[in-house]
Amino acid sequence: MSEYNVVGKRIPKIDAAQKAMGRAEYIQDVKLPGMLYGKILYSKHAHARITRMDLSKALALSGVYTILTGEDVPEKMRMGFYKDNPPLKKDKVFSFRDEVAAVAAKTPEIAKKALELIEIDYEVLPGIFDPEKAMEKDSPLVHENTKSNVLKLPWKLHYGDVDKAEKEAAFVVEGRFTTTWVTHCCMGTSGAVASFDAADNLTIYTNTQIPSLAQKDFLEALKAMGLKNKRARVIKPIIGGGFGSKLDTYAYEHIAILLAHKCRKPVKIVFDRPEEFIATSTRQPTVTHIKQGCDKNGKLLFRDIRMVLDNGAHTSWGATTPSVMMMPITSLYRVDNVRYDAKCVYTNNTYSQAMRGYGNPQATFAIESNIDMLAEKAGIDPIEFRRINRNHPGDVTPQNFKITTCGLDLCLDAVEKELRKSGTKEKGVGIGVASLIHVGGGARIYKSDGCGVIIKMDDYGKASVFTGGTDMGQGLDNITAQIVAEELGLLVEDVHVVHTDTDVCPWDVGAHASRSTFVAGNAALGAAKKIKAQLLELGSKELKTTPDSLMLKDRLIFVPGDPEKSMAIDKLLRKIHFSPGGTMLVSDHFFDPINENMGPDYKGNMSMTYTFGVHGVKVRVDEETGKVEVLEYVAAHDVGQAINPLLLEGQVYGGVVMGLGYALSEEVMHVNGKNMNPNFRDYKLFTAKDAVKIIAPVIQTPDKDGPFGAKGIGEPGCVPTAPAIANAIYDAVGVRITTLPITPEKVLAALMEKKKNH
Amino acid sequence: MRLPQFDYKGPDTLEKALDLLSTHAQDAKILAGGTDLLVRMKKGLIAPKTIISLKALNELSYIKKDKNTIRIGARTCLADIIASDSVRKEATALSTACERVGAVTIQHFRGTIGGNILQDNRCFHYNQSAFHRSGRQACHKDGGKICYARDESDRCNSTCQSDGATALMALGAKLVLVSKGNERTVALTDFYTTDGIMPFAMEPTELLKEIIIPVEGGKSSYQRLAYRSAIDYPIVCAGVLLKASAKKDTIEDARIVVGAMGRAPLFLAKESSELKGKSFTDTKAFQKAGNGAMNSASTFAVHNVGSTLEYRCATVSEMVFRALQEAVAEASKA
Amino acid sequence: MEKLNIILNINNKPVDVRITPNDTLLEVLRDHLDLTGSKESCGEGVCGSCTVQLDGKPVRSCLTLALEAEGLKVRTVEGLADGDKLSPLQESFVNHGAVQCGFCTPGMLMTADALLQQNTNPDEDTIKKALSGNICRCTGYSKIVEAVAHTAHPDDQCPDCASGIKSCCKTKE
Repeated sequence: MSEYNVVGKRIPKIDAAQKAMGRAEYIQDVKLPGMLYGKILYSKHAHARITRMDLSKALALSGVYTILTGEDVPEKMRMGFYKDNPPLKKDKVFSFRDEVAAVAAKTPEIAKKALELIEIDYEVLPGIFDPEKAMEKDSPLVHENTKSNVLKLPWKLHYGDVDKAEKEAAFVVEGRFTTTWVTHCCMGTSGAVASFDAADNLTIYTNTQIPSLAQKDFLEALKAMGLKNKRARVIKPIIGGGFGSKLDTYAYEHIAILLAHKCRKPVKIVFDRPEEFIATSTRQPTVTHIKQGCDKNGKLLFRDIRMVLDNGAHTSWGATTPSVMMMPITSLYRVDNVRYDAKCVYTNNTYSQAMRGYGNPQATFAIESNIDMLAEKAGIDPIEFRRINRNHPGDVTPQNFKITTCGLDLCLDAVEKELRKSGTKEKGVGIGVASLIHVGGGARIYKSDGCGVIIKMDDYGKASVFTGGTDMGQGLDNITAQIVAEELGLLVEDVHVVHTDTDVCPWDVGAHASRSTFVAGNAALGAAKKIKAQLLELGSKELKTTPDSLMLKDRLIFVPGDPEKSMAIDKLLRKIHFSPGGTMLVSDHFFDPINENMGPDYKGNMSMTYTFGVHGVKVRVDEETGKVEVLEYVAAHDVGQAINPLLLEGQVYGGVVMGLGYALSEEVMHVNGKNMNPNFRDYKLFTAKDAVKIIAPVIQTPDKDGPFGAKGIGEPGCVPTAPAIANAIYDAVGVRITTLPITPEKVLAALMEKKKNH
Repeated sequence: MRLPQFDYKGPDTLEKALDLLSTHAQDAKILAGGTDLLVRMKKGLIAPKTIISLKALNELSYIKKDKNTIRIGARTCLADIIASDSVRKEATALSTACERVGAVTIQHFRGTIGGNILQDNRCFHYNQSAFHRSGRQACHKDGGKICYARDESDRCNSTCQSDGATALMALGAKLVLVSKGNERTVALTDFYTTDGIMPFAMEPTELLKEIIIPVEGGKSSYQRLAYRSAIDYPIVCAGVLLKASAKKDTIEDARIVVGAMGRAPLFLAKESSELKGKSFTDTKAFQKAGNGAMNSASTFAVHNVGSTLEYRCATVSEMVFRALQEAVAEASKA
Repeated sequence: MEKLNIILNINNKPVDVRITPNDTLLEVLRDHLDLTGSKESCGEGVCGSCTVQLDGKPVRSCLTLALEAEGLKVRTVEGLADGDKLSPLQESFVNHGAVQCGFCTPGMLMTADALLQQNTNPDEDTIKKALSGNICRCTGYSKIVEAVAHTAHPDDQCPDCASGIKSCCKTKE
């Protein structure tokens, strides 16, 4: 298939064997000498003033080292995108997840007992839990220092002339779509161990997807604590799942730091499952009003979207998800006239953060459900409708996204072929499709979208690769090793990838936006190219030839076709090291993709390339119970070049099943701000019996900017799942469900409503 | 999550177990598989001083078949019941129900039939962590005076979500309860109280020893709805038993039970007797029975198992209908 | 509280431990014996991450009192490999991409291993049913099911084996 030796091969995940033997060390398994255990006390109310706190009984408990409250948090220690959220709240609580006190004790049991002994009196305040109601004039204010619950963070863009296009449209449809809270459910819960050395330098073991940015947060925390010019070292143990949950620093990390400093002992905080559900952030819930129109031939003319986002009580990255929602809104299919207006509104609910797809699943649910409605109104087959409006390579979208490679048409073909294999239509059975666009070449969210890699060669022909990238199970370690091995003519086992320690790993902005393969991969490729150049240069002297006549392959450096001029790479390395005036082979490379921050008008080519995909699904709806059974699932993605098809399938399969949960079963149930299902029994993740076999056609469209042509694929798998399901249900039984998750209750209620009206 | 502290007793005879129960009565809990009890203890819902484990009581693990009954020891694990040919053949509903409990990994020696019948009633508002519950007034089941599931209710409306109990009630099963020096047999239909705080009409000194299932040639079926195919409690379920006439074309006798709709499985006497004499092909009669089930169940059910009340009421009729159809199909085959 | 000395048989070795009655088997394995391969993810018997085998049957160690494991053979994920040599099932998990973050892997392996002890030839539905008490968030289960099926049917070809890299077809030789 390819001319590559290592790239494109199904190489098992490098750390899979140690994981399968139970030897991998997760945060749960980290133990330091003298370590204490920290536990956090959360608010008992959604909105209340703290009127009294008495720690005396808890402090008197044997084995308790210290208890911290909001009073002990330095003024400048703040978290989140707005930096408005202290790790422990003082005077007032704004949601059930608000942290009010933290204990360090000799054992977890003592720490838990101490929490029970802390006495707090609250004066309960009225809460507001519905973002649309929170926008009303007489709504109670979540933050008294604001005039309105609407954040001063308007997301507003308008390209072309939507009103004019609407007038000209032959067909117009509109709808209201809502999505609710879902959460990552990493199997390994969150946790951190913080420890100070004698000179007050911090080492923190923590589950993070953003080691360098977390380091910055922790350095700021140290500064706020009055510890100037101290070091913060972030060590990542093996991460038990990420999916975006670890894209920000959390209160528990800051609390562990405060406790460890106060006690002068390492402090470990690890969440139990209910805490993981309650105190980590969810995917951003949305209310979307959408209107789209097309001409009589089905050409999409405009897209008009208003959105309300439940911001929760504090502002984290959830409030910025509209920046990514804009991508499908302006650029999924060709559409010249686009208007988008989103408001983030404070409520006393939990706050949201990044989760796989970062806003894209919510926006795509509305767009792609509504596209089917429009196709129906226009009397055009939904797949054909998408074909008419598909993006093309070379397109520049209204938001100035430059589409380089685009395999949307091939994805449509592949899905259609699979779905239409079994022809005849049974009662209650239907098919649905939905497409996606996602960033595939990094995403310039911060000022930089860069990643650094350092490569060091040893005497034995082995490469140590220090990357800023992060592996959390998705396989960045493999991708890095395969790219370096390919470039240097080594085997994958010759490459040791280090991604766990900020003391040795270079800077990076984190594992998000499906950017690791593209950005960290390009950084690794860049560094490897520099080593390769040195090897060829030094090898040419040893082999008495020119560098450009040499090749690296199978651990050898050689002139093709000339058996005399060949040498083992390790031997060459030893020669380089063990010579008078010798040298060492170390290289570094910082890759910052040529993409753009969005300007004030939100225009800017956010990513160097874009990934496309189409999902198709066949469902059977039980009309008596409303239960939806997924019969077939096809997920075609345009991936550039697959560096490792085995891992690629893993991302797609995993993403799709996560998407199926989002579509059909998952929901964090809140009653007046209180999480009612913080456990795996009541939060409905799919089991092996519920999951379906997924056919995943891989459309290769090698991208000139990707490492060996690759694009990112971490998130797309869960982006169009929900609308594909919703469209299939409509096809099967003629009811359109517009709120997620599409539970049997909703389907049955819609069916009964439909019967009533007929 | 840590378990609270307790004393552990592991009696190796039934007699010793009953002795211990009579001494510790109020403060003791029986541990069979632990899938219900230990979870409740971890959540701080109960904190018994003494745990009396049935681990060593192999004498309570058996399936015995004689002419007119199947007798099952209370500590028999669900996997053994699922594997039993005689249960599958003559008490199909129970076999199916056991298969639906938890997952395969829970069905052998962690999950027992006694534990399944005696699993405590559940409620969305009650089965929460101690911290969750501490932020509000206690409900009836938690020692307080209010019900979060039904306003103004003077009692606990927690729901019995036992698959096994629903199937067994349909089969007309009886329970053998023993205490020191005493043994009594009670029909499962008479085993429930009217308050979810303590849903079972049994003394703290009593131990469930055996389940007796009459087998008189009837055909049974069990149907349930849950969100997932595994690790879920039913949100609505139904068990039926049908006896066919000699000609195998009409119903001679029927028992319809619905579950997960109230504090106990509900035997629908009226709907059951109305089916007598009905033809196997009389789907209208089955539908009527289903609707009757919906009407009866909807008076008891409250919104407390994570699915809407409207939905559970709307589907309970379908579960009854499907169970009847399946049982009829089996009966006409036989 | 009352401390008890018990002897557990873990991975075919007798081990003395001093416990209290409320110690679960999982806590004893992880906290007393540093056998941290078994994982706690939900703590209430739903997710299966803590699955170990007791006398060959997969059991949730978070809902098993350590006391009640006395006299039974406890097998944990650490007992699957022969030194550094992976068992065929482990090998198959690795080669089929059944391991991503790996947190559910030990429990999955113990459940699947128990299945294969009982049934050397399970079909896909049987495998799915057996694994339905083990939650995985990364893989969507497909590759796990494939890995188990492939251990049972070493002669079947799958794309992973067909690629010729570390073929799991060969591990059973």
